[in-house]
Amino acid sequence: MSYKKDYEEKDESGSSEKLVIAQLPERTILATGIRVGTVVKTKYMENFISRTRPDGLHIIDLDKILSRIDIAGRFIARSDIKRTVVCSAREYGKKPVEMFCSLTGAIPMIGRFMPGTFTNPLFAGHIDPELAIVTDPLIDAQVVEEASNIGVPVIAICDTDNVTSNTDLVIPGNNRGRRALAAIFWLLARIVLIHSGALSPDQQLDHSIEDFETKIIEE
Amino acid sequence: MSERISLPTCTSCNRPIAPGEKAVKFYCLNCGQVVIWRCEKCRKFSRDYKCINCGFIGP
Repeated sequence: MSYKKDYEEKDESGSSEKLVIAQLPERTILATGIRVGTVVKTKYMENFISRTRPDGLHIIDLDKILSRIDIAGRFIARSDIKRTVVCSAREYGKKPVEMFCSLTGAIPMIGRFMPGTFTNPLFAGHIDPELAIVTDPLIDAQVVEEASNIGVPVIAICDTDNVTSNTDLVIPGNNRGRRALAAIFWLLARIVLIHSGALSPDQQLDHSIEDFETKIIEE
Repeated sequence: MSERISLPTCTSCNRPIAPGEKAVKFYCLNCGQVVIWRCEKCRKFSRDYKCINCGFIGP
């Protein structure tokens, strides 16, 4: 019983010695709440869930999060980054998306996505993308819909309650948390820069996870 | 006079993809060697696809 409790406590906070990526301990990543899901579980996200907490929250497998981020980073680095669109209608996703795009050169689309941006060539802000990345397929449903209409692959950050229709790669993770979104985009930016040759695997990014976080200003 | 055309097939369901269908094609996300085609229905129902080169299963 005590062993089980110890194991759970250790599992919850993560080890400070185990390094997830170069010079970054597992504890730092887990402290952002990257793997904490919701109480709802869809059949599409079943494969990514490792266990359910006594309070009903589903926990996402950290290894799968990191492996999917690695795969997504490789794919983004292979494709034309100047024609990659990163969308976020979520408030907490705006700063991470801006930072990711400033580091990699992708096109940020934050806030409301104007319908017809991908499909209407007569629209002034028309973009012909090669790849679309969304922070939540539910909130950014218009992006996913238009990308599927023009045959563009979609990478989506999905929580445990998301439906992955019209999505070609799922990055499982907490897409509601301020720090979790910052951690996901920080990891993704790092992997993209490594695979595009701008950063060596042992090298640290100039920016920390905190720089990717949306700051809360109290009035 | 008729001419034979070869249609791409969906990686998930192996059905031919008709021209004009809302399908998507991309190189395998993991290895980048094999072209993966996904038909409209398989995308909609989020059916799994598997790379024949590296064995990556998506989405």
